[in-house]
Amino acid sequence: MARLNDSGQWIVMMGFIVSIAIFLLALVVAESAIVGKTTSESVLEFPKTDIQDLRSELMNLTWLELNPNYQDDIAKISLERKNAVVRYQLDQTGEVPILYIHYNNGITQYNEIYFED
Amino acid sequence: MNDSGQLYTIEGVAAAIMMVITAYLVISSASIFTPQEKHVAQMQLEQLGHDALVVMDTPRENGVQSNLSDAISSDKPEWFKANYSPLINTRTDGTQDTLNYSMSVFYWDSDTDSTKEIEFFNEWDYHRENAAKVTQWAYIESGTDRTAVLQDTIVLVEVLLWRD
Repeated sequence: MARLNDSGQWIVMMGFIVSIAIFLLALVVAESAIVGKTTSESVLEFPKTDIQDLRSELMNLTWLELNPNYQDDIAKISLERKNAVVRYQLDQTGEVPILYIHYNNGITQYNEIYFED
Repeated sequence: MNDSGQLYTIEGVAAAIMMVITAYLVISSASIFTPQEKHVAQMQLEQLGHDALVVMDTPRENGVQSNLSDAISSDKPEWFKANYSPLINTRTDGTQDTLNYSMSVFYWDSDTDSTKEIEFFNEWDYHRENAAKVTQWAYIESGTDRTAVLQDTIVLVEVLLWRD
């Protein structure tokens, strides 16, 4: 049997180090993928646009002094199509009209008291 | 024949197997990208579709109806398409993107005490592609034809968006 050749140990060791480094980098890559997934999931879950739309529609309607016909429509359609409980009320007894907005879709709850100075 | 170096050969084969296994592990652990990219794509689709609806629901000037309310109250699905398609399908290089969509209008029917749907725009068939649903409230002053039931009311506009 040939005598053991003890040259080239550096090459072997560097090979090991590089392969371990590649493995660690792969872990980092996998981790970043999970971060991207959870981020976009929470963006999808959070009803940002629902609340913005509701607010902007109610602000527009406040100019029309909130016809009571619309009140129920928005609340009922919200419950049926978006599974969200929506309540709002325009209080005109004070000096300035005050608009109360309540939104709850089971995950996110939003309350607002709005009045113009 | 030189009969030395068999151990080195075996070592080389073992190293090759190790590298192949490592490469397999790396690639299979990185393939988690697929579900993640679906979520990112869906999020972008949702934001694009909603932004376009908001633009359409913004009146050009004070006191006039928005393009969205206009299309619904005139019962003109082609107006909706003419306004909505450029907003979501325009690319910077001048070509057209391939997003398809359908649009429905939901209103509250007080006679039957239930939500009613008007299938307003339904040109393309939906074959269970990965889709996003976006909504927008709209005020309709007076509808015509199919939307004649909508008089001085609030409706919910629902758009289903998917990439063809």
